[in-house]
Amino acid sequence: MIGPFSPGSILMGLELPLASTGWRPFLDPIDLHRQWFLLLIPLAFGISLTYRAVRVATFEKYWLKVLILTFQVVLAMILLGVGSYLFIQVAVPMLLPMPE
Amino acid sequence: MNPTTHDHLETPPLDPIAGILAIILPGAGHLYQGQLKRALLVAGGILGLFFGGLLIGGIDVIDSRQDRLWFMGQVLVGPVALATDFVHQNHFKALDPVTGVPRSPKPGEIKDPSTGEWVVGPAGSRPPISKSLAKMNEIGILYCTIAGMLNLIVVIDAAFPSAGRVRRGRVS
Repeated sequence: MIGPFSPGSILMGLELPLASTGWRPFLDPIDLHRQWFLLLIPLAFGISLTYRAVRVATFEKYWLKVLILTFQVVLAMILLGVGSYLFIQVAVPMLLPMPE
Repeated sequence: MNPTTHDHLETPPLDPIAGILAIILPGAGHLYQGQLKRALLVAGGILGLFFGGLLIGGIDVIDSRQDRLWFMGQVLVGPVALATDFVHQNHFKALDPVTGVPRSPKPGEIKDPSTGEWVVGPAGSRPPISKSLAKMNEIGILYCTIAGMLNLIVVIDAAFPSAGRVRRGRVS
C-alpha cells in the first residue's frame, strides 16, 4: 500500500510538477522510441567517464581522454551496425541466394 | 627475466575497507583512500548511468523477479539498486486478480487497497507506474546493468589500490 510518507508516495509526488505533460519521471518511460539511438551517446559518455576515472594515473587531459573514448565507442557501434547491415543485406544473399 | 618497472614496486596491498565502501556506495572506496576527484567522477558516472536508466525506462527497469538475469548485473551498483527494487516490488506491484501473482499494472488499472489486487479504475485513471516496453525498456535496463558492471571495476580498483596504474609504471 502507498502511505503518505512511503517511498512510493514520494516518487509519485514527482507527478505534480509535470502534470501538464503527463510524463512522470522515474515512473513512466520517456517517449524517445523513434530517437532511441541518440541514447547511445550519453551511455558511451557515462562509460568513458567512469572507465577513464579508474584508469588514469593523473587527471591531466582527463576530459579530452573521456571525449576521445566516447567518440571511439560511438564510432565502433556505428561500424558494427553498418557491418551487420552489410552482412545480412549483402553477404548472406550472395552466399545463400533465395530460390526463385 | 629483465627487470621491469613493476619489479621495483611493492605489490599493492589489499584494502578491504575501501572495497566494501565501494560496494555500499559507488565512489566511497576512493573517497576513503583520499582520492576525492576520482571518487566524485566515479560516483557521477555510475549513479548518472543508473538514474539515467531509471529516467529512460522508469522504475520498471529494475525488477528482480521479471528480469532476474539483468538484475544480477544491476545489483552490483549496491544498496541503491536493492532499495529501488524493494520500492518497485512493494509499492508499484499488486496481485493479479486471476493468477494471484504480483505484477505491474496494465493501462487503466489501479490498486485496490482492501484486497491488494489490480482492478480496473474509473475512466481516465492512471496506474501508479507505466510499464516500459520495447526500446525504452531495453535501453533503460542496459544503462542500469552497465552501471553495475562498471561499479565492479571500481570495487576492484578500490580494493586493490592502483594495481593497474602501478603496473604501468605511471604512479602519480
